[in-house]
Amino acid sequence: MENLRESLDLSLFWEYRAVVLGGLGFNLAVFLCAGAAAIVLGLTACLCRLSRRRWLARLAGGYTETCRSAPEYVLLIWVHYVPPLLLTVATGIKISFSPFGSAVIALGLAYSGYLAETFRAGILAVPRGHVDAAAALGMTPRLRLRRIVLPQALRHMLPEAMNQAISLFKATTLVSLIAVPDLMYRVSMIASQEMRPLPLYTGAALVYCALIFTFSSAVRLLSERWRRRHLA
Amino acid sequence: MSDPVIKVVDLRKSFGALAVLKGISFELERGAVLSVIGASGSGKSTLLRCLNHLEPPSAGEVWVGGQPIGFRIAADGSRRPDSEAAIGRRRVELGMVFQQFNLWPHLTVLGNVIEAPVHVRKLSRAAATELARHFLAKVDLLDKQHEYPARLSGGQQQRVAIARALAMQPTVMLFDEPTSSLDPELTGEVLEAMRGLARDGMTMIVVTHEMGFAREASSRVMFLHNGMIEEDAPPERLFTSPASERCRQFLSKVLA
Repeated sequence: MENLRESLDLSLFWEYRAVVLGGLGFNLAVFLCAGAAAIVLGLTACLCRLSRRRWLARLAGGYTETCRSAPEYVLLIWVHYVPPLLLTVATGIKISFSPFGSAVIALGLAYSGYLAETFRAGILAVPRGHVDAAAALGMTPRLRLRRIVLPQALRHMLPEAMNQAISLFKATTLVSLIAVPDLMYRVSMIASQEMRPLPLYTGAALVYCALIFTFSSAVRLLSERWRRRHLA
Repeated sequence: MSDPVIKVVDLRKSFGALAVLKGISFELERGAVLSVIGASGSGKSTLLRCLNHLEPPSAGEVWVGGQPIGFRIAADGSRRPDSEAAIGRRRVELGMVFQQFNLWPHLTVLGNVIEAPVHVRKLSRAAATELARHFLAKVDLLDKQHEYPARLSGGQQQRVAIARALAMQPTVMLFDEPTSSLDPELTGEVLEAMRGLARDGMTMIVVTHEMGFAREASSRVMFLHNGMIEEDAPPERLFTSPASERCRQFLSKVLA
């Protein structure tokens, strides 16, 4: 009973609020950078996979499946330790990745795999006839993609992409593993100092929940409104 | 006869082992309205799609306005296949209207019509809008210019698609079963818009199941069978006394 009351007593969390919430900035920064990387890599991989060149489509398919199959946890640790080691051996110069850099690369890679598939589903949902109509009007393949296919694909894929954005944000809590000083990292530091982990982790859980809930409801509301307006 | 607007020479198209067009040749003079009829699978739609190279023909030639599409003639007289970009530029001379309308749902009616004039012909937005309003007025839809396609009836959508094709000011209009996915009460407004175009002197090739339109609005009717031209005659002759037995059978089926 005493334990339970203590775990729900958030005064300790409140005491450390400045330090702990300061860590959220790192979560957000990793989220934004890894998200941007995932969009660029994911779209590239998807377009290559849809290419008429067989070898390119195969290569992109292999990339996508590899990224999708690797657990974020493992990828994070692997990216942080293995490539720097290989580069050190190859160049003879001591190379290491910053924790932040590794976190962005690892999560960017992992989510580019998921996003590539979402992009592909979105693009394949655009009726072939819409592309034919654009071609018949003299639009080049590039122009068709930019003006006709992608705008529609984005509307199709938006709900799924939003789910992925939310899981990417959740996945940013893993980066404390490689010592990125995010919210979870700070909470665990303070917890081991104070010897009272429960209230701190409860506080962290509440902060994440509140943040993700607000973010996802706002985005869902806006995106549905935007989608409904034009999708036949 | 003056120089033909379209000249097709021994056009062939196969999908794998399946030969869909087995050597189509014809010429079309300016202002002619050619209706193409025939059973499904006879190659009508493929013929249209080969004319503007949405499907690259397996063999044969298409000439529009005296210039070939899909290849060019080198200085030594030999024929070289054209690049995709060059085909794109040439194909603009053939406006196309599809069975499924294929309006882009994320753009308004006006947005659909000015899209290609702005991005392909590089007209200013103002000039393209003026052009678009002219053609939207022609199909009697100027009042819908700011609507999205999803809010229009099928007949209205098809008329927008006609305006969209006209806005590129093509030499010839191709219609691929333009009324086949419309409710019967909506076909009339689309056929009326097409008759208006014909009266304005537009050269048209219409793949159709509307025998009424083929009979009254076209200057020439072509009956395709198994990827070949079985009969090609003015409508009054083709509909009253077809020379080919297959054509007679087809007509007795569809006119029954």
